[in-house]
Amino acid sequence: MAHQAHAYHMVDPSPWPLTGAVSALLMTSGLAIWMHFHSTTLMSLGLVLLLLTMYQWWRDIIREGTFQGHHTPPVQKGLRYGMILFITSEVFFFLGFFWAFYHSSLAPTPELGGCWPPTGITTLNPFEVPLLNTAVLLASGVTVTWAHHSIMEGQRKQALQSLALTILLGFYFTALQAMEYYEAPFTIADGVYGSTFFVATGFHGLHVIIGSTFLTVCLLRQMLHHFTSEHHFGFEAAAWYWHFVDVVWLFLYISIYWWGS
Amino acid sequence: MAARLLLRTCPLRVLQLRGGTAARPLQRAMASAGGIPTDEEQATGLERRTLQALKQGKDPYSILKPKQYTGTKADPHIVPSIGNKRLVGCLCEEDNTAIVWFWLHEGEPQRCPECGSHYKLVHHELPH
Repeated sequence: MAHQAHAYHMVDPSPWPLTGAVSALLMTSGLAIWMHFHSTTLMSLGLVLLLLTMYQWWRDIIREGTFQGHHTPPVQKGLRYGMILFITSEVFFFLGFFWAFYHSSLAPTPELGGCWPPTGITTLNPFEVPLLNTAVLLASGVTVTWAHHSIMEGQRKQALQSLALTILLGFYFTALQAMEYYEAPFTIADGVYGSTFFVATGFHGLHVIIGSTFLTVCLLRQMLHHFTSEHHFGFEAAAWYWHFVDVVWLFLYISIYWWGS
Repeated sequence: MAARLLLRTCPLRVLQLRGGTAARPLQRAMASAGGIPTDEEQATGLERRTLQALKQGKDPYSILKPKQYTGTKADPHIVPSIGNKRLVGCLCEEDNTAIVWFWLHEGEPQRCPECGSHYKLVHHELPH
């Protein structure tokens, strides 16, 4: 057992940062190979390695924190900073796509007909499925908060139910959005409208899927009794991420679906 | 003991039916009523040791800000150490950019060469 006079976690050597870096290399070069030589092998290999890296790295973190007790209060504080900084970086990521949307839509060029939405684009009615999607995500924000309070109050059954409901709402959003994508009267190739619409909402959808996966992992961990009523940072991180996804959707809805229609 | 007597006379199933709970023999008896454990029940390793120590008012892993001392001869800065000497960096005045570094040895309190504050080394066992 390590004898230390501080409360920090000196991690053991691990291969996962290296496998993660290798997977990044394989995915990027694989993307180039796919574009030029029509082969997806390298990229797929990179993707598999990425998934293995994520699974094993995060499994090790759970082992270190939950099973070995390395996540003391100062360590937890560091993890909180880390998650906040990561979400902030994602905010800036989306900020770029909103900038692109407003750049094109506030001063529409003559090629678009000098108007927004551009000539020939039939936009989606913001008061149909997009409004339902808004309600679904807002409701999921309520249920995830319910889950958090259930955990803090030590109520296992309620925690499992509310967390499961949150995940189901997330899946419902994804299903609705997939249907919208399929039925939309415009495509990503339809000028700058199509580009800004599908890239912004597409990345958002990807983040919904990531958030749903994170919450599902939390559900499994809660079933396996990992969380205590005081220490459940993995869940808090997932809930923060989920609220971030919800807020991005609200901005998308107001800007692209409603103002942009 | 009374509990064991009760369990022997009343079959578990009857108790459960009376209690209205489903048969869940694996549920730990020590988990709190709602089914989610507390840190007291489940924390382990270094986390457990830090939490238990903080509960007793002790801080062997230096998590909290060190106690403030005036630094006079009667109230010297107490410097805990696991060895017989420790580096001390004295920030003589607030906002000073130059830190005064010196080794503090066990025994008689030493004074900062710049501002004269008193420092005393106090031996501590390595927490384990």
